[in-house]
Amino acid sequence: MLFFWKGPMVLRRVVAGPPGVNFLSSLMMLACVAFIVPTASAAKKDSVPDWVRSAAAQTVPTYSSETNAVVLLHETNYTVSADGQAVEHVRRVVKILRPAGRDEGIVYVHFDKDTKILSLHVWSIGPDGHEYEVKDHEMVEIGSAGQGNLYDDNKYKAVRAPGRDPGGVIAYEYEQHARPYLKEKTWFFQEDIPRLKQSFTLELPAGFAYSTSWAHHDTAKATDLEHQHWLWEMKDTPAIDLQHVLMKPSAPALMGRMTIHYGVAGTPEASKGDWKGIGEWYRTLSQDRLITTPEITAKANELTLGKADFYDKSEAIAEFVQKQVRYFVIEMGIGGYQPHFAGDIFHNRYGDCKDKATLLSAMLSSVGVHSALMMVDHRRGVIDPDAPSIVGDHMIAAIEVPKGYESPLLRSVITAKTGKRYLIFDPTWEKTAFGQLEHNLQGGYGVLMEGSDSQIVELPILSPELNTIHRTGNFHLDADGSLKGTVTEKRFGDLSEDNRTLYTTGDAKEQKEYMDHVLERDFTTFHVADVKIENADALNKDLTTTYTLAAERFGKNMGSLLMVRPRVLGSEYLEADHKARLVPINLRQTMQAKDEYDIELPAGYTVDEVPVPVKLDMGFASYQSSTVFRDNVLHYTRTYTVRAVTLPPEKYGDLQKLAGVIAADEQNHAVLKKQ
Amino acid sequence: MERFVLMILAQRRTLLRSAVLLALSSLGPMIAHAQKWTEPTPEELKMTSQAEAPGAAAVYLYREEITDDKLHMFSIYIRLKVLTDKGKEYGNVELPYYSVSGGGGFTINDIAGRTIHPDGTVIPFSGKPYEKLMEKTQEVKQMAKVFSLPDVEVGSIIEYRYTKRYDDHYFISPRWFIQTGLFTRKAHYVWRPTSLQLTSSDDRGQLTSMIAWTPILPKGAEVKQTRAPGNDGQLTLEVNVQDVPPAPDEELMPPINSLTYRVLFYYSPYRSNEDFWKSEGKHWSKVHDKFIGPGSGVKSAVQQLTAPTDTEEQKLRKIYAAVMELENTDFTHDHSASEEKSQGLKVANNTDDILTRKRGSGDQLAELFVAMARAAGMKAYLVAVTDRNRRLFLQSFFSLEQLDDYVATVNVDGKEQNFDPGSRYCPYGFIAWKHTQSGGLRQVDGGTMLIQTPPVGYTSSRVMRVANLTMDEHGMTTGTVKLTYTGDPALHWRQLALGGDAASLERGLRTRAEHLMPAGMEIKVDLIENVKEYEKPLVASFTVKGVMGSSTGKRILLPGDVFEMNTKPTFSHDKREIAVAFDYAYLTQDAVRINFPNTMAVETLPEGKSFMFQKSIAYGLKTETTPTSVTFRREFALGEILYMPPEYPELKSFYNRVETKDQENVVLKVLVPGNTKPAGGGN
Repeated sequence: MLFFWKGPMVLRRVVAGPPGVNFLSSLMMLACVAFIVPTASAAKKDSVPDWVRSAAAQTVPTYSSETNAVVLLHETNYTVSADGQAVEHVRRVVKILRPAGRDEGIVYVHFDKDTKILSLHVWSIGPDGHEYEVKDHEMVEIGSAGQGNLYDDNKYKAVRAPGRDPGGVIAYEYEQHARPYLKEKTWFFQEDIPRLKQSFTLELPAGFAYSTSWAHHDTAKATDLEHQHWLWEMKDTPAIDLQHVLMKPSAPALMGRMTIHYGVAGTPEASKGDWKGIGEWYRTLSQDRLITTPEITAKANELTLGKADFYDKSEAIAEFVQKQVRYFVIEMGIGGYQPHFAGDIFHNRYGDCKDKATLLSAMLSSVGVHSALMMVDHRRGVIDPDAPSIVGDHMIAAIEVPKGYESPLLRSVITAKTGKRYLIFDPTWEKTAFGQLEHNLQGGYGVLMEGSDSQIVELPILSPELNTIHRTGNFHLDADGSLKGTVTEKRFGDLSEDNRTLYTTGDAKEQKEYMDHVLERDFTTFHVADVKIENADALNKDLTTTYTLAAERFGKNMGSLLMVRPRVLGSEYLEADHKARLVPINLRQTMQAKDEYDIELPAGYTVDEVPVPVKLDMGFASYQSSTVFRDNVLHYTRTYTVRAVTLPPEKYGDLQKLAGVIAADEQNHAVLKKQ
Repeated sequence: MERFVLMILAQRRTLLRSAVLLALSSLGPMIAHAQKWTEPTPEELKMTSQAEAPGAAAVYLYREEITDDKLHMFSIYIRLKVLTDKGKEYGNVELPYYSVSGGGGFTINDIAGRTIHPDGTVIPFSGKPYEKLMEKTQEVKQMAKVFSLPDVEVGSIIEYRYTKRYDDHYFISPRWFIQTGLFTRKAHYVWRPTSLQLTSSDDRGQLTSMIAWTPILPKGAEVKQTRAPGNDGQLTLEVNVQDVPPAPDEELMPPINSLTYRVLFYYSPYRSNEDFWKSEGKHWSKVHDKFIGPGSGVKSAVQQLTAPTDTEEQKLRKIYAAVMELENTDFTHDHSASEEKSQGLKVANNTDDILTRKRGSGDQLAELFVAMARAAGMKAYLVAVTDRNRRLFLQSFFSLEQLDDYVATVNVDGKEQNFDPGSRYCPYGFIAWKHTQSGGLRQVDGGTMLIQTPPVGYTSSRVMRVANLTMDEHGMTTGTVKLTYTGDPALHWRQLALGGDAASLERGLRTRAEHLMPAGMEIKVDLIENVKEYEKPLVASFTVKGVMGSSTGKRILLPGDVFEMNTKPTFSHDKREIAVAFDYAYLTQDAVRINFPNTMAVETLPEGKSFMFQKSIAYGLKTETTPTSVTFRREFALGEILYMPPEYPELKSFYNRVETKDQENVVLKVLVPGNTKPAGGGN
């Protein structure tokens, strides 16, 4: 799935930390500054500050040959003035260790209308020891192109530092306004390269206090520097480098961070950053945006006309917002957090994730259904229930289920501490059926924005039976190995998402090419005809694909033997390597795949051998298959079930075993013999 | 559209500015009139698909581009029907523009738009476009005007128009790219060129006397010329097209993106194609000869490098090797002015400077090679070629822009030979595939000539894959694999290594081996040889271990040629509209031996076969067996790289036959049952 194309990352600036944290931004910067090269040097000889020289003089430990670079120094000073406004001052020194680390020599600092850069200086030391100082006119400003956004005011100051070769050292220092409306600062102290030495200094005005919460790292104690100054220091912080890790979790879900909440001593925001406080803050941003309008009410009434049932009413409105309101982003400043007015969203029929959730909430309220916004992160594990913060990148809706109401169609339901039940639904995710929740949110956490009842909630992991592929085929095999028959494939849940997208938005050529590419994994020569697609847009029904298939030389004539693969088509191949596993395993989603194939044998042949049945249950997943010969027909069945979304690294051995079993079973053959 | 920029003669600027101002003021009502929208037909409102483009996300109902030199303005008008959800994305519009400090650039103005629903409801675009920063440097500010048309839904017709205005001091000839990713029902293009005499803004400053164009148009379409009555009657050039299919897009397609339907105009001082290439070629040659020299530095270096007793070939080999030693910045990175200054270097004005730097771009190194060959007393010529990986050379297109890279031709001992010194690690006398079978321009004595670079035979690019494997009675297989690369495949790996290091090369080769070998095998790189010794084959040796094949109890099925077992069909689509183009001709040779215990015996073995396609592609498989081993020898030679659509069915059939043959298994009978278990077995 191409998640970033969908782009529901409106809150991403919350997690925008140091270079390397926001992978998407890194890519964009690489693309944009490719042609920007400092031009001329001043007459005066360039020189780097002592703090850069001192950091560069450190002895670098021995890292793996695939470590691109190392951060020699990363210092953050966060100073809050008496009016609550803050300024951030950052110093960073990076040493490039290999050619692939040259990108670390591309310096960029994000800013927008609320986070003005007050100063930026860049220096470097080439591998030959030559010192450079980048001049202001050599820097460029780059807008936030692409990412599916129509307009936002995210910008970057950027430059390609000279001397960015292995052995070179890149340093920069900047000072920048913090967002004026936030009383929260998150220090991201881990990235995809190691950090040798780093610190965070907090300076508060008299009368202010703070609290901290830590995610993916033990709490570290601050050194009190007196006069409202506190210092956190770290050394030898390892990288979270997942570049070559299979089934990897998202890096930000592993990277350590500390969130500071501050304010006037005695106020809730100063004494404890908690989920309730975050919800109350967000209510101030969103409550007037959720107000319905006569047009909204009229449309909601139209959609629910004749519907009395809670599910029916909610589904009609949810599907309207899901399908009829285009996704894209228009945001400036606080617009990264604050939705547009529901009336405007309805009128324009477009908006980002928080806009869509807001409109859904407003429409539901106009027909008497209460709902709340819910902040989530599409990267499972980023939101830590023990580390309250506004770190998150997506907004969805939590629709309150009436007391006593039960329906098997409500699959993604949570119960809050208040005892209220909520159906969790994401109107931005265009191919998830109402009642379900997309897999990347399952098993993660969401912040239920219910004013004083705001809280963190765990999102459910749905049953494998709600995310399925079921392939069936009836074939006849000729003596020359040709196979002819019909295939039916039914998909439901997230496993149907890509196909639904293809069959609702792809053109005929794309659809044909897709089918060919799927089948070429299992056949060398084949012809497909009579393709029929059903329920491509009916998300709560099986997406059904049927076609006839003719495959030449499917059975391999080997002397008097005819070798046939009972698993005719469809693969559940799992890629697992032989490396030691250090990070959790991301299984992505719970699911169940079933295959049932019948192959009628050619006259004059009988079965000499069939593959040995397989039955394996690892707890988190199970796999079983069998091939039997009955009434001149070879029957193959298999069921593969995944019951978990993540596994601890210790389970990698089990996963390797499962992968081996599946790979072997998929290649097994039955041996037919001439009678 | 902005590539070929010509400036008006200085003495006429004032007059022209006045003329433009006058024209603008008098044209006000006319522009207002032009803002009228097109009323959709009932058929357009109702349509849900376009028969010629089944399932298309959207179709252009109408596209119009009018260029009026007097106004220094392009007017663009789009009418588009949204047919699927995906098509709604066309309702988001981004119009880039830029300004240059000291003048230049263009602006976007007069944006208007509306959405029409299938029931005829019209929703005008009443918002204001956002001004989005794209990139700002000291010299250039690139912006975009972005807007979203309101309430776009499946079935909507979206319409918008805008103008692009250029600086009054410039004229820009239009380029009409008629074929896009969408089907176009109708399109209309107009250019009203200036009658002023212009001078080009390049270093030549030539006076233009002609308007020329390169048309690539659908059948029946043409560039229509009309001239208003009178001596100074306005010339109008116009193209009307209808039912233009989307640009083709197929796998293994030649780089025909440069040949989609289009008309490329230019103001030109030349009266013919021949005039253009002759004159521009001569100028190009002169400019580069000035850079090439050779200067004293190059001469001195060559003197030290070569011996008077060397033959020309010996000299040239030494020169070639010396150039190959230098850093090719195409594979590392450009060095900034401040970096060069820190090393005491100034702007490179000639090949002496390149030699001093010990680094240069691929083109600069090609020029240095020519300079050194000349310094050694040989006749050496620079050749500019089109990169076949990107596009095809078009002689009728008056532009040197289509020439991407430089190679060299040297007369060695009386015979001309081609060299590719700008492609680092290209062997002596070998041309990288992207520069073969491509068009270009070369220096000759006293001028230049257009050329076609020759093909390279299939034996020049070889991959040899050797596996020596031993399987035990449980199916566990261990052994060695050796991959030997020559020619283009070797160049690929060597150049990949240039952008990375030993670790990245090792990972790349290991990943390649993993993709070749049965899934789940553990593969370790033992040795990578000759990474920098570009005249020798690149060799990668591996140790492999893992379960191979599958078991049925009484039998074990082994892949035949293990290197082909994961290969997917080259051609799976039944139909083909565009020719098939492979990158280069090559030869693959495999030798695979699988040893097995004496508790097993071969029951059946794939039969040896060989077949050919049109004498241009050959396949051969030979098998041998002993009581405890099977050996496969496979050869695949691709002799030609281009196959036309009528040949496709036969070509596909040939490949299918080869690929089916490659999937045949060896069947081993288990002589002592109970000793084997299913490969990868679970339970």
